[in-house]
Amino acid sequence: MELKYYIIRRLLILIPTALGLLLMTFILLRAIPVSDLIANYVNQRASPAQRAIEKQQAIALLGIGQPLPEQFYIYIVDILHGNLGNMYSNFYSGPVIVGIEDYLPFTLELTIFTVIVSVLIAIPLGTFIGSRPNTVADSTGRVFSLIFFAMPIFWLALVLQLVFGKNIGPLGAYGLPISGQGYPSTQQVGFIVNGVSQPTHMLFIDSVLHGDFPLALVALEHLILPVLTLSMSILAGLLRFIRAGMVDTANQEYIKTARAKGVPEKMVLKKHIRKNALLPSVTVIGLLVAGLLGGVVVVEDIFKLEGLGRLSLAAVVGTVGNNIQFYGVAGTILFFGLILMLTNLIVDVVYAFLDPRIRY
Amino acid sequence: MIIEETKSEKTQEIKPYVEVKDLVTQFFTARGIVKALDRVSFSVYPGEIYGLVGESGCGKSVTSTSVMDLIPDPPGRVVSGEIFIDNFNILSDIKTLARIKIKSETDVRIKRNKRALKRHNNVLSHIRGDKISMIFQEPFLALNPTMSIGEQIMEVIMLHNISSISESMIRRENISSGDVNEFITKYYSLNDDTLKRKTVNNFTASYAIHEFEESIISLLTTSDDRQYIETEILNMIRENKSGINIENIKTIKGYYDLQREIFQMTLKLLQAERTGETSAVNRYTTEIRKLKRIESGNFFNLKMKLRFAYKHYMAEYRKEARRRTMELLTLVNIAGPEVVIDSYPHELSGGMQQRAMIAMALASNPNMLIADEPTTALDVTTQAQILEIIKDLNKLIGMAVLFITHDLAVIAETCNRVGVMYAGNIVEEASTVETFNDPKHPYTVGLMSSVPRADKKREKELKLETIPGTVPNLITPPSGCRFHPRCKFAMDICSLKKPKLVEISKNHKVACFLYSDESEVE
Repeated sequence: MELKYYIIRRLLILIPTALGLLLMTFILLRAIPVSDLIANYVNQRASPAQRAIEKQQAIALLGIGQPLPEQFYIYIVDILHGNLGNMYSNFYSGPVIVGIEDYLPFTLELTIFTVIVSVLIAIPLGTFIGSRPNTVADSTGRVFSLIFFAMPIFWLALVLQLVFGKNIGPLGAYGLPISGQGYPSTQQVGFIVNGVSQPTHMLFIDSVLHGDFPLALVALEHLILPVLTLSMSILAGLLRFIRAGMVDTANQEYIKTARAKGVPEKMVLKKHIRKNALLPSVTVIGLLVAGLLGGVVVVEDIFKLEGLGRLSLAAVVGTVGNNIQFYGVAGTILFFGLILMLTNLIVDVVYAFLDPRIRY
Repeated sequence: MIIEETKSEKTQEIKPYVEVKDLVTQFFTARGIVKALDRVSFSVYPGEIYGLVGESGCGKSVTSTSVMDLIPDPPGRVVSGEIFIDNFNILSDIKTLARIKIKSETDVRIKRNKRALKRHNNVLSHIRGDKISMIFQEPFLALNPTMSIGEQIMEVIMLHNISSISESMIRRENISSGDVNEFITKYYSLNDDTLKRKTVNNFTASYAIHEFEESIISLLTTSDDRQYIETEILNMIRENKSGINIENIKTIKGYYDLQREIFQMTLKLLQAERTGETSAVNRYTTEIRKLKRIESGNFFNLKMKLRFAYKHYMAEYRKEARRRTMELLTLVNIAGPEVVIDSYPHELSGGMQQRAMIAMALASNPNMLIADEPTTALDVTTQAQILEIIKDLNKLIGMAVLFITHDLAVIAETCNRVGVMYAGNIVEEASTVETFNDPKHPYTVGLMSSVPRADKKREKELKLETIPGTVPNLITPPSGCRFHPRCKFAMDICSLKKPKLVEISKNHKVACFLYSDESEVE
């Protein structure tokens, strides 16, 4: 009952947060000279007549000549109508919103798999090493988690490619595909339209939905190395937190109570220590996902995967003669922000579910 | 001669429920070994309240946690000694648990035997909470913040009382008119109202039909027709019967009974291992193996079900456990138990939390309660209520209580016998009256004179006396009698030898060279 009200309240808080996010991207855009913004919107390779039309569109989109609050209002209305401007690059050219629609799902897929894999490994492993502090297992776990936490993602990605990559590593032809070999655009299957799978745009989930399990396997093969790369740092951070939580909780007075009640040692660990020890780690997952989104850009580029990270990178690099694509950058930032907001929403709800003290 | 005979007879009659002998507990810290307890011996008899009193840091709480073998390890360990709970020495396998190699004060290597520890903990988990339970100093810290009060109390019942719940449920299924008739006859044969109510309560409890208690009482008071009452009660029970799978309950009961049997065998095995009877050890080991084979053969399905669908499979038991929990909360005077049962510890006041703690400790009907400064964190009125509850329970159920406090007034009010502790030793043990009126040990004398009293003796000297100095650092305790640096009457021998706790008059033991020359053998 109380939990329901808490979730409703938490959802309402999303509105001001989203407005803040919009304000940030708006200010970022408006910090750029107007002439540059207009030039950015226009496809420089189009005919002069087309360019004139696009210039008029840009002026309308930006609300140039209006006071700033008015411009912000126009900006929000545009975004609600899906009008985020255009971008031009070697990777993708066209309306930003279409690009995001095509590439966001893959990033979501990557993030979800990463979080699931790291949580599934971190919880049992953290329970294991946290329940026997200062033993060999514990020290080994801590050293490894520190190493992986400190390891740069791009380096780890390259090493994994060299070791496990198809045709380049010691595994030879049995290695895992790298550089996007055989990913959607090259697949010729009915439910892939214009290089994007339907309906969710996530190849793995779509192929499972269509019952095409060989393709699902291909999609999974492509996910293994990127997910491994990304989950290492999350896993390492999470492991340290879970371990610390376990050690801290094990010394609490109520654990002594549980033992005094005659709860068997196994149940003390599972029911009393672990549940309380995971509480701080839940919050940490939210923070780690923020770091993960930075890693996504690097990993997608190294593994040549078509996701939001590649799109944002393309927007930053732009094309020759038309450098940075402001609309693309602002649009991808907006959606990275939205992913983060949603993650934190989930984290908060899970936290409230686990800890009754939060539901005031 | 005659006196001695009666005395020996008496000791044969009443065996102590908990007997602690030469208990040594140490903490191995980086700064050195803290000799927290040094050969502490005492016993608590069924039905009495035994108080342990002393300054802070003198080892009272360590004693209580050692009795349950709950000393956090690392850094602490019970190093040697014997603790008999209900005639079973829970430390019988202490030698096999860990090997302690003391190189120097700060360099101690402890090698734990994991298998022995596992068995030790397994045995103790059957004893803790079941035969002996504990309430702690700060209820707010001692309750799990993420579990509701009801869940926490139910946990104890689900751990220790499955068999008795099964029995009452089976009895309810097979209830006959004879059983009801017997109850009604008993009810009418009594004249006292409270006794009558108690009979009804017993009846509903033993048949697990608590929800009918009110209607049965109203039935008994409104009608005189026994035949009518009997059929009504039977109808009530039979209508409610549907939906329970009695076969399930019988299997679960069988499983838990088998578990209990294995536990009893393990106890016997431990006892035999200690005395070194090889043939008995072998016999019990094969016996346990046989029982375990039965367990994995007959109850494999049940074990899987309990593992993966515990809540669903035990729903009937949880309902019954919840009802018992409600009863317990009422017993400890919690207002609005139906609200409290689903609330979380942070939603309750300190007094309520301590009451919930007591309810939890009582959930499995233990014969002994260890109360480790249960009233220290509470205000005076709540303190009085909590003490009243503990005293009532002691009188009603006949539960023995080991009461630990530094508050002499609380001791005077509640305890039958008192042990005075100083720096890890019991220095004096006597009945409460004697301790207060005729303290012998200089430390006890000092404690008593540092309490403000309203009697005539103190009128002249309004200033309170204190004992000079503080409790010594137990890494380097004073040699001989640990109290000698602070003692007014210290003699030469005090720093050389440690006095033994000897009986100087009937039921009055003192460890001091002023009263006896006996010293402990090192």
